[in-house]
Amino acid sequence: MSKLAESLNKIQTLEELSDGITVLHRIHPMAKMITTIFFLVVVISFDRYQISGLVPFFIYPILMMAIGEIPYKSVLSRLVIALPFSFFAGLSNPILDRQTAFLLAGLPISWGLLSFFSILLKTVLTVMAVLIMVATTPMDQLARQLVRLRIPKVFVMQLMLTVRYLTIIIAEASSMMNAYHLRSVKQKGIDLNHVGTFMGQLLLRSYSRAERVYLAMKCRGFNGEYHFAQAHAVRKSDILYCIGLCTGFFIFRWCNLSMIIGRLLGQ
Amino acid sequence: MHMADALITPAVGGVMLAVSAGAIGYSAKKVKEELDDRKVPLMGVMGAFVFAGQMINFTIPATGSSGHIGGGILLAALLGPHAAFLVISAVLLIQALFFADGGLLALGCNIFNMGFFACYVVYPLIYKAIINKNFSAKRITAASVSSVVIGLQLGAFAVVLETLISGITELPFGSFVLLMQPIHLAIGLGEGIATAAVLSFVLKSNPMLLDGYQAQEVTVKMQSRKVVVILLAAAVIIGGFVSLFASGNPDGLEWSMEGVAGTAELESDSAAHNAAASLQQIFSFLPDYGFKGGSEENAAAGTSVSGIVGGGITLGLAGLTGYLITKTKKKKVKCQS
Repeated sequence: MSKLAESLNKIQTLEELSDGITVLHRIHPMAKMITTIFFLVVVISFDRYQISGLVPFFIYPILMMAIGEIPYKSVLSRLVIALPFSFFAGLSNPILDRQTAFLLAGLPISWGLLSFFSILLKTVLTVMAVLIMVATTPMDQLARQLVRLRIPKVFVMQLMLTVRYLTIIIAEASSMMNAYHLRSVKQKGIDLNHVGTFMGQLLLRSYSRAERVYLAMKCRGFNGEYHFAQAHAVRKSDILYCIGLCTGFFIFRWCNLSMIIGRLLGQ
Repeated sequence: MHMADALITPAVGGVMLAVSAGAIGYSAKKVKEELDDRKVPLMGVMGAFVFAGQMINFTIPATGSSGHIGGGILLAALLGPHAAFLVISAVLLIQALFFADGGLLALGCNIFNMGFFACYVVYPLIYKAIINKNFSAKRITAASVSSVVIGLQLGAFAVVLETLISGITELPFGSFVLLMQPIHLAIGLGEGIATAAVLSFVLKSNPMLLDGYQAQEVTVKMQSRKVVVILLAAAVIIGGFVSLFASGNPDGLEWSMEGVAGTAELESDSAAHNAAASLQQIFSFLPDYGFKGGSEENAAAGTSVSGIVGGGITLGLAGLTGYLITKTKKKKVKCQS
């Protein structure tokens, strides 16, 4: 499957997921946004050698994935993109920092190895948290909250339009790619000599589509304002969700649950 | 070069988010000032275009590797820096949300590294300086390759700084820089060449899409206006010269020569205004000049005026004939089809 078709697939899956009707989907988008941001901040605020403190944080994504009916396949496909960069940025740590931190069943574990795994854990956690938010909240509702947060409307409007036209332009590019590959057998990408015409052609097509879109919008009374879907009013359950989870993250941040359980078992 | 959340501390992420939010506020204000609601769907579709474009890989000959177009400079060259900055920020946010390509807290870093440098540093200082309102395939190629390369170098350097300040990696500054910069030099060359190819194509097929081309369009118009001015001046000179020669008074000739030289040298933006102004000068000044002297001069001026008027009528007739010919030709084509 080509990269284009693959991402088209991803976007569509995500849109279908965010259309679901689970309890998590019904939580107010603002509550989910605040919770997610808080989770991210707490997770990355751990020092670089921390592992045991991070592990309990998996409770949140694992529970939410189950409640929100989010398949694990989508986590994996996102990790494929997010992990390599973290992996290579962290790879130098076990090589450069070889001082032994402790012995694990006789095997010396270096500080570098600890910080390397810490980076990987943080990556997985943050990727999962963002996924949970976007897989249970439709994009236009997120956009509406951005406007409420005083993010400039021009920006949010253009964000929404990009999302709207993403699938269309990708589909267009995909069919152009197909046509190109049918005429150039066994070639991987596009020949450098053809990039200008190929991409330029796509650009002109996009441009004339923008013209048509504009005219169509104008016909329907567009006057520079974009109307966003209203979210339902904030309910008690939303506030409870937000405060409850954030308090939980806060407690997990200061009390190392892994250590506590470990000690209990040790005794 | 999309940074993940795991590579930064909340402090670095927060500061960069604030900086990028400020930049978004600024560019949104700028875009609103110049908005043209036609630009709204255009920005959306262009965001989608860059998104799709970055997924289309091309093969770099003899290396076996592949690259894709760069976003920031291409968008800035098409939409202008402010709109481009908004578009690239939106694209980065969507990449973070939909594909986990870059983190949400690291979004500020990513917008700064890939959007701010491209739109607000490299585009005005390098791209525009090289183009210098003179759009040609050569200049566009030079401008886009150098600005994409420099933009990526700045961005890569910022990644190094942001990661090191966060204290996540053990890599010392020197080797981290030595690792990042050459890789991004290679990537930048690839992206730059692709961007140049796309922009050159646009220049050939629809140059009006390029940011700043409007200004050049005026100079092009000016050039055709210049031709008209020169032709007019020539008619004035010839008409005036012949009649003045008959009357033996060279003053008028010298004067109109100066006027022509004055219009022919104009090249700046305001050239059109200047040309119009000097034309106005010619036409309003002439009767004044011609009729203020004594009776002998008066007669000379009278003949040169008749030469000018005659020249004007001839030109007008020629223009009208040309117009009629093209019109009948068009009609014929219509009838045939």
